[in-house]
Amino acid sequence: MPTSMPTDTSDGPPAESEACAYTAYEDGEAPAEYPKTGAGATGAEADVWAALYEVEDPEMPVSVVDLGLIYDVAVDEASGLCEVEMTLTYTGCPARDMILNDVRCAAETAPGVDRADVRLRYTPGWTVAMVTDAGREALREFGLSV
Amino acid sequence: MNGDADGVTDAPAAASPRPRRPRPRPAGRAGGELLFRLADDEFVHAERLTEWQIYAPTLESDLALANIAQDEFGHARLWYDLLQELGYTEEECIWRRDPDDWTHATLVELAFADDGWGDAVVRTYLYDTAERLRLEALVDTSYAPLADRVGKALAEEDYHRDHAVSWLERLASDDDARARLQAAVDDLFPHALSLFAPGAHEDDIRANGFRRASLADMRAEWLDTVVPTLEGYGLVVPEPDDVERPAARGRDRTHTDDWGDLQAAFTATHREVDFDRPARLRGEEA
Repeated sequence: MPTSMPTDTSDGPPAESEACAYTAYEDGEAPAEYPKTGAGATGAEADVWAALYEVEDPEMPVSVVDLGLIYDVAVDEASGLCEVEMTLTYTGCPARDMILNDVRCAAETAPGVDRADVRLRYTPGWTVAMVTDAGREALREFGLSV
Repeated sequence: MNGDADGVTDAPAAASPRPRRPRPRPAGRAGGELLFRLADDEFVHAERLTEWQIYAPTLESDLALANIAQDEFGHARLWYDLLQELGYTEEECIWRRDPDDWTHATLVELAFADDGWGDAVVRTYLYDTAERLRLEALVDTSYAPLADRVGKALAEEDYHRDHAVSWLERLASDDDARARLQAAVDDLFPHALSLFAPGAHEDDIRANGFRRASLADMRAEWLDTVVPTLEGYGLVVPEPDDVERPAARGRDRTHTDDWGDLQAAFTATHREVDFDRPARLRGEEA
């Protein structure tokens, strides 16, 4: 087996090693208006946001709202139809169906909501910058460095 | 999930009641062709990559290829989801689809050679370079649901190319390993040349603005990238126009014998589960 490593140098690692760049989530600015937290929501929409705060990510004890995954909540109070738009941290998320179902069921517990639809969006792309302060605190307690 | 297809130029106006299975219209067929090419490539490529999870030469490589395969399955799901918004079911897209309807490039369906680590490295390099070009050509697509998803997929691709290039560099530095890379280039390049072959609705795809670059331009850019890179590692790349092309082209739904075996394998469990007659644990007729 060949052993020549592409980043080997006799002077030690380069100042800015690119190793593990894949797991270093970009922590720049979150896009304007993100994360969405339901602040200022009223009526049935406020109730849905409150219900979504109770939904935790399947892999980490943090609310999907505090993770910044919820992009929009709209309730048509006449029909009782709720539409939730949300994203996933990465496209290959194996817990997708579980999260979508948890979010749908939580939204349907809100008074005034008869049926909820959950729709995935990937723009803006999620980054760790979209995690709320409360979410960061929860992730730190869980043992993640954010 | 609602069943609309905003951005498809002939999408029906907010009809009520919503049709459960809208019949694909001409632009829908062009959008469908575009999505099936994307989805089928990703799905079949991922199926082959998962085979490496018990054969890769290091634990790091096990993890890396499993992770890349997971990403590609995730991307396949992005595009198959949009096909479901056009009215297809997941079963129709994958599990119960006629194997002669698939439109992936033959590059991604080939079984790996017995000592095929060089094959995996060259294949992922050729494929992931093409995938980047293809996704970049979709960033400004007129097809809104597609535009929403392209950036996310593109952002997840950099690492795939880094992985392939890093291994190209390592293998090329050793004479025996470089010979394996060369064998892989000889085997795979003729199949990779079909990556950019047009489908039946290519003119509609372009006319609708679904993709902003022509396949010919993308193919030229791909060749301008991969040929000098491979040659830079001491590999011989044949003249594209002189290559003896395989009979199966993939994009026209013709495939190699390897495809039939793979398709039978990955649909086997779905067939055996017999979803039409679900087992009931309790309750009715127990």
